[in-house]
Amino acid sequence: MSKFTVFSYTVLLGMVLTYAQNRQLQYDFYEAPQALLLNPGSRTPYKWHAGLPLLSNTALQAATSGVTVNDIFANDGLDFTTKVRDRVVNGLSQNDEFGASGQVELLYGGFRNANRPSDYYSFGIYGEGYVAQYWPKDLAILAFEGNANNIGRRFSLNHITTQGELVNVFHLGMNRKLNDKWTVGARAKLYSSVFEFKSRGNDGYFVTTLGENNILRNSVIADVSLQTSGIEGIFDSADGEPADLARLLVNRSLLGGNLGVGFDIGFTHKLGKSTFLTASLLDIGFISHSKDIENYTLRGAATNEGIEIILPEDLGDLTTEIWQELIDDLEQQLPFETNQDAYISLRPVKLYSSLRYNFGETKDKSKDCDCGTEVLERDTTFDYVNAVGAQFFMINRPRGPQTALTAFYQRRLGKVLAVKATYTADKFTLTNLGLGINLQAGPVNFYILADNLLGYQNIPDSNYASLQFGFNILSWNRN
Amino acid sequence: MKKQPFLYIASVLLLALLSACADEQNFDQIDDLSVEPLVATSIFYFESDENTINAMPAGQFYDQNFTFEAFNEPFVADNLLDGKITYQLENTTSKELEIMVEFLDADGNVLDSETFILQPEQTFPLEVEVNYGVGGQSLDILRNTTDIRVTGNNMTDNTSISTMPEPKVILRTSAEFRLKLQ
Repeated sequence: MSKFTVFSYTVLLGMVLTYAQNRQLQYDFYEAPQALLLNPGSRTPYKWHAGLPLLSNTALQAATSGVTVNDIFANDGLDFTTKVRDRVVNGLSQNDEFGASGQVELLYGGFRNANRPSDYYSFGIYGEGYVAQYWPKDLAILAFEGNANNIGRRFSLNHITTQGELVNVFHLGMNRKLNDKWTVGARAKLYSSVFEFKSRGNDGYFVTTLGENNILRNSVIADVSLQTSGIEGIFDSADGEPADLARLLVNRSLLGGNLGVGFDIGFTHKLGKSTFLTASLLDIGFISHSKDIENYTLRGAATNEGIEIILPEDLGDLTTEIWQELIDDLEQQLPFETNQDAYISLRPVKLYSSLRYNFGETKDKSKDCDCGTEVLERDTTFDYVNAVGAQFFMINRPRGPQTALTAFYQRRLGKVLAVKATYTADKFTLTNLGLGINLQAGPVNFYILADNLLGYQNIPDSNYASLQFGFNILSWNRN
Repeated sequence: MKKQPFLYIASVLLLALLSACADEQNFDQIDDLSVEPLVATSIFYFESDENTINAMPAGQFYDQNFTFEAFNEPFVADNLLDGKITYQLENTTSKELEIMVEFLDADGNVLDSETFILQPEQTFPLEVEVNYGVGGQSLDILRNTTDIRVTGNNMTDNTSISTMPEPKVILRTSAEFRLKLQ
């Protein structure tokens, strides 16, 4: 199995086992306890909960900006090279990206403190990560067209930006209802990295200009690096028995790899009788990478006008190996090097916030005071029939923060069914309609959340798709 | 009845989800992708002033061969589609000069050569383009070239002095070649 194949499979695995970026349907949809993972200060109407191992939450997401699969691969009879040139090479910008993420929850549970019922504890393990590849526009044009017809054009090396990881997260959270206005929460996290690669903050350019002596001059100024951890070990293990690779991945997932720490915080604040303000900050932390490091750098400056023979200076001074000397000089001026230097990666911090207004008649108005710190009954906790509001999401990405704005409408249909519909605008799409359904059959909770439903009319033509589902066993406070 | 608008919306969204479909895709098109960049670079630069030419006996004043393996690098040789070498020559000396560029293989055999006769005190540069590939010279010349020999011959005398400022002979060369990356 080649290294590239192993790496591709690993990245694909990472895409399956990684963390959905914006989960606007799940945020504050606290019928399912996974809402606590997006806001540790969410409301908690449960006595205890237990996710079905490996099935309590599976989330997948894929996104492209600027181009879709259909734009390229539609069987439309158009010349493929022309489509790629017009829609990808010349059509995309360096800020367009291809990304995928997801999450598989391995274990998730929670319980209310019997002695202090205002406190709810939750804990679990999930795998998360993502792959994000920004479009290297200038390098793509250079590869597609070459430099001959681009004299004087600077091809920026800053367009090289890629990042991906697979990490297992152990977490323990506490949620406390302080009073009838405030619910706050925090979650501590321990990260166990399986692998990571990132290349960001690069600088420099390649340019071809008219030469000073000769016809053309090629110049490179480069400050480019790629940091990796865990990749080489995976390659090496893949060359051996399959069990070796599996053992390595399991070991790294269970605190045997590079480790990090972090935390989440969040709150729910009641404004007036039916209005709620919520916010959370997730993944404030870092991973220290010191094991299985392999970093690559290309740093320096070089200019080349070919071999120069100037008489009389070079009379009798030339060797026949002048070509090799030229190559050696270039490699010295622009060395491609590797190192094993440890590094620290900050987690991609995420911010959620929402403003929500509940309306519609509840069954028992007398229970709607929501006063005191005692645990709420299930019927009163879900004290809404309808809810509308707006959510804001922001995530720190390699090229700066990405944001999304969501409008939502939520409705409970009896005690069994709750539905949330969203409209979200972000860099990937402005037509993202999503729908989440939460079913409660006795203690069994099932939810399914799907995004960008209009994209399902022609999935390959969609810029964004996500799906999330899971099963939990819930015990309500009155049980 | 109050529930109807929401149920209607939910039904439509559910219907959209359940009626997911996809236009026909043809991923085999990737085989039709043609990526053929045109790459340009200088090859070598030769310059000699008139004093140096006069310091040599009349006739050959320079003869040097050197390794040049840009075109027979496996990646280039395997993907070379066509190419063009451009020669620019200037002669502001008082002599008629002959500049010869020879392409040699690993055994020293001459695969191709270009000879340029430069008139004394040429007031404009001479530019010559030699094409390789379809309609031009064989690409194998480039693929098998491992050495280049540059020879300069003084066809006049070794005493005359040009009236032009800083008299010299200059040979500039560059190459443009098309590679098939995909």
